[in-house]
Amino acid sequence: MARMRFLCDTERCIDCSGCVVACKEGNHVPVGVNRRRVITMKQGEPGEKSISVACMHCSDAPCIAVCPVDAIYQREDGIVLVSKKTCIGCGYCFMACPFGAPQFPKGNVFGARGAMDKCTFCAGGPEENFSKDEKQLYGQNRIAEGKPPLCSAMCATKALLAGDADIVADVYRTRVFERGSGVNAWGWSRAYKKD
Amino acid sequence: MTNSLNDIRHAKSMIFIGSNATEAHPVSMQHILHAKEVNNAPIIVVDPRFTKLAAKATEFVRIRPGSDAAFIMGLINEIISKGWEDKEFIRTRVAGYEEMVEVARHYTPEVVEDITGIPAAQTRQVAEILAKNRPTSLTWCMGGTQHHIGSSITRSFCILQLVLGNMGKSGGGTNIFRGHDNVQGATDMCVLADNLPGYYGLSDGAWQHWCRVWDVDYDSIVSRFPAKEWMGKKGFSLARWYEGVLNEEELETPTPVKAMIQWGCGSNSNSQYNRVVKALNKLELLVIVDPFPTIAAAVTKTDNVYLLPSASQYETSGSVTSTSRQIQWRYKVVDPVYDSKDDYQIMELLVNKLGFADEYYKNIKEVPEDITREINKGMLTIGYNGQTPERIKKHMENWHTFDIDDLQAKGGPCDGDYYGMPWPCWTEEHPGTPILYDISKSVKEGGLPFRNRFGDVTTYVMTGREEGQLAAKGVCNPGSEVQGGYPEFKDVVPGTNWKTDLSQKTIKTAIDKGMAPFGNARARCVVWNFPDQVPIHREPLHSPRPDLVAKYPTYEDKPNHFRVNTRYKSEQKTDLVKDYPYVITTGRMVEHMGGGAETRSSKYLSELQPEMYAEINPRLANNLGIRKGDMMIIESPEGSKIKVKAFITPRVDEKTIFLPFHFAGTLMGESYLQDYPEGHAPYVVGDPGNVVTNYGYDIITQIQATKDGLCKVTRA
Repeated sequence: MARMRFLCDTERCIDCSGCVVACKEGNHVPVGVNRRRVITMKQGEPGEKSISVACMHCSDAPCIAVCPVDAIYQREDGIVLVSKKTCIGCGYCFMACPFGAPQFPKGNVFGARGAMDKCTFCAGGPEENFSKDEKQLYGQNRIAEGKPPLCSAMCATKALLAGDADIVADVYRTRVFERGSGVNAWGWSRAYKKD
Repeated sequence: MTNSLNDIRHAKSMIFIGSNATEAHPVSMQHILHAKEVNNAPIIVVDPRFTKLAAKATEFVRIRPGSDAAFIMGLINEIISKGWEDKEFIRTRVAGYEEMVEVARHYTPEVVEDITGIPAAQTRQVAEILAKNRPTSLTWCMGGTQHHIGSSITRSFCILQLVLGNMGKSGGGTNIFRGHDNVQGATDMCVLADNLPGYYGLSDGAWQHWCRVWDVDYDSIVSRFPAKEWMGKKGFSLARWYEGVLNEEELETPTPVKAMIQWGCGSNSNSQYNRVVKALNKLELLVIVDPFPTIAAAVTKTDNVYLLPSASQYETSGSVTSTSRQIQWRYKVVDPVYDSKDDYQIMELLVNKLGFADEYYKNIKEVPEDITREINKGMLTIGYNGQTPERIKKHMENWHTFDIDDLQAKGGPCDGDYYGMPWPCWTEEHPGTPILYDISKSVKEGGLPFRNRFGDVTTYVMTGREEGQLAAKGVCNPGSEVQGGYPEFKDVVPGTNWKTDLSQKTIKTAIDKGMAPFGNARARCVVWNFPDQVPIHREPLHSPRPDLVAKYPTYEDKPNHFRVNTRYKSEQKTDLVKDYPYVITTGRMVEHMGGGAETRSSKYLSELQPEMYAEINPRLANNLGIRKGDMMIIESPEGSKIKVKAFITPRVDEKTIFLPFHFAGTLMGESYLQDYPEGHAPYVVGDPGNVVTNYGYDIITQIQATKDGLCKVTRA
């Protein structure tokens, strides 16, 4: 069984936010809710790097462990999803998640959280595939259509890889091999301080 | 672009100067990063800012805005003094070399350091990287062109590539990135004040050529002008059209401009924006054709404004030309929504209403295919004749058969063609020309020499030396009947040349002889019809270095420059820097596009970039008492002001302020939001950066100099 994974290649990510906009447009995510965002470190300085981050669909997902109503579950292919009809919006998952992935609707006066929303790997939710309910609550189900998630499909530089972990790893391994010591591997010249 | 985006995959090094491809051309980055990763090709980024592209560079060179020509001439000088120039390429395919070297000698690394701020050691290092990693792909964008010496700066880039022998080679070339999928197409159609479509110019012969193509009586075209002499004269340019309305400067025009159609134009991309607004309000008629009401609609307070809602690119179809000179077909996804109509319908309705249809619209029966066919028929100068609508569509349907590396179809229905038939595509059998000036292939297979455009022999004013302009003996494309240089083809059909022979017999004869219709000549380093025959540095009109103005002064004032008197010498005041001590430069952000009418109306893009700002270095911000989140007032020497948020970042140095130019909708606290049609205001508004970009225009093209002005900054 394939295990789904994201990998953002920071040598390739150019901080264009194409992934963010593709996700929001394609899944009709409300303004203020960010299933994915691009983080930049050392902006404007040598060493500036950007990375696109969303739910990592962890193997041992802390959000699942802490959810008091068992609204969060993991599919066989590793994709972590939430049932919005079960979620009580307590925010435990938000505290447990190391990546800040769980999102909550904005705008209620008393801060009522509403059901949690996060990256679905474009795999919809527990409702029937392609049903109206599924679309309204979670957006597209591209995995059921045999397509990659919108974010990685849109990525201009193919920095954001998504899919079967084995294949993603192969693609990345080939890149690292091709880069040699020029970009980020410790090669001969670096080992002997020649650069 | 002489090469293509894909061909950058073959570069052994890349230099970007005045280009921020990561933000302006993100899709190109997959090829650029491929060359970096697979070829281990160094990326050199020359820019006043540490841009997002610089973050991907192996060598970042911070340059003072407007000093590009000095840096490039310095590189040339360094390359030649080390003996790294491509001697054989220069001997056989370059003209005016000795004259150019004479000028370049002045720009030693130390002189370059004084002018540009680039350490002499870094100039030497960059020269060495370029010399030892050939071929180099060189890219520039508006950071190279938008200066009063923009035409000299861009020529220096070309000369650098000639000296290194990087022209006509895979992985080399001068690769100027164009904005979206049809900016090159718009350029080729010459939506310009000094040209007919296909760069034919404005001569009588050019008008007669197009009259034959359009099947329109020449005299009827003449009758549309106030007098025949105006047909051959340049019009007002995009950069200064508003002066034609305001009538305050010295003009040479039969009448001031009274009416205007802005078709897909963000007026806030014009510098001197306060004058633009004044002109918009003086027009007797303003028609705006756009999917979104632009800022021009909101700032114009008169009753004479008409908004024609046009369809987006998804609601229409037709041929478009990409940055790599490739022609593609846009297919319609949905019918135009609400009241909008596509551009063809709007044009047809206008032509009918104005009563021109019988004469000027008679050849257009099948829309839009017949428009592409008219282009095929007339634009012989740049070989737009082989890309018929049928062939273009066939390419679109067989994408998968083209190779990502060399763009050629391997088998399938398009076997041997290059994707999109990059122009020139000389005949309906020709595969297209993926790399310009490449003499390793026959012309029939997509090769080309340099064009013979400037005579056969020239005597240089500077040295008195006489030189042949045709390529050296033995240098030509394989299979050429003439072994060496040859002039352009003419009189195959008497009285015509390859550009004006509508039967295209001349072009076919040349191809059959294995020769290029436009001849086989040398690329020239000396342009005898320009004020600077060889590129030199001249200080920006508003210079932060008064000491350099004396040494590198600007031009004399130029009356009747695209109909408007244009100030150079009288504008270059050395004491300006006392009151306006910081350099102002502008650019793009990845989330917004052009004037921003479309992108600021997208809620998700607006969420990502919700506010106008100016980049300011932390040190300068602290010296001026400006803290994170503070508003600042930026004032130009013309006295215009904007109020924007401070974005404190080391991207810019302590002397430079950077503004994105995509915003509009407010000015110094005043909002125009209520002036948009109800429900059509953009989500995001801000003060337009171009209110404070300075006076200044290129001496040849009149492009606005938005990249090297001066300003004053205070805490609001």
